[in-house]
Amino acid sequence: MSYQEKRTVMSVASGVLLMIAYCVYALVKLGLDSMGDVRIWATTMLVFIGIGVATIIVIQIVFHILLSIGIAVKKKIRDESIDDREIESSIEREMVEDEMDQLIELKANKIGYSFVSVGFVAGLAALALGALPAVMLNIVFLACMLGTIVEGLLQLRYYRKGV
Amino acid sequence: MAVKTEKLEITNNIRTLRFFANEMTQQELAERAGVSRQTILAVEAGKYSPSLELAFRIAEAFGVPINEVFGYNLHTDKEKGKP
Repeated sequence: MSYQEKRTVMSVASGVLLMIAYCVYALVKLGLDSMGDVRIWATTMLVFIGIGVATIIVIQIVFHILLSIGIAVKKKIRDESIDDREIESSIEREMVEDEMDQLIELKANKIGYSFVSVGFVAGLAALALGALPAVMLNIVFLACMLGTIVEGLLQLRYYRKGV
Repeated sequence: MAVKTEKLEITNNIRTLRFFANEMTQQELAERAGVSRQTILAVEAGKYSPSLELAFRIAEAFGVPINEVFGYNLHTDKEKGKP
């Protein structure tokens, strides 16, 4: 599995975990009774966005540290006389991002955004049909989360099957 | 009325050229072309059609003209169209 695939798997996994955490919190802690209070839901979503950003940053940092250690250990096992500069350049070579990565990201982004757009329209439709504003907020929020997960899964598919 | 559509398939000789370049590894070629090994692997397997710039850089890495690295096949399909 390449560096890009590993990075995408990490991002999908963190997205799925965050979505599960939100769903559990929304259903167990808040429950359907609080659907009338938009303020609670908006605050919860803001908190989860903050947690999400922080989680992604921490996971990416830990992932890059572990990957670098992994590469360095592998290189040292293969050749004990290898110097630090050589190890550094192999880590850089492993983490290179090129035109194929950008194209894959663009293609996946496009489909991910369409998920978000569909979610927004579905939220508006729910509101127009008489649903509570909190329902609309939840639809849009979940569509954003789902869009990110779909984006990651599509990236993995493009890396495996080709662009 | 039938409409002819032509599908263009990009082919490459990267594997052969690597063999004749002292069994150059995909990693070596990737470093010379300035891309990741994953990209070279995808180009070689025909899973990704590189940009013109990358195609020239790959040809440059082998020291051959671009048409010795890349080629194309035209597949003509007959499709039913509107009359």
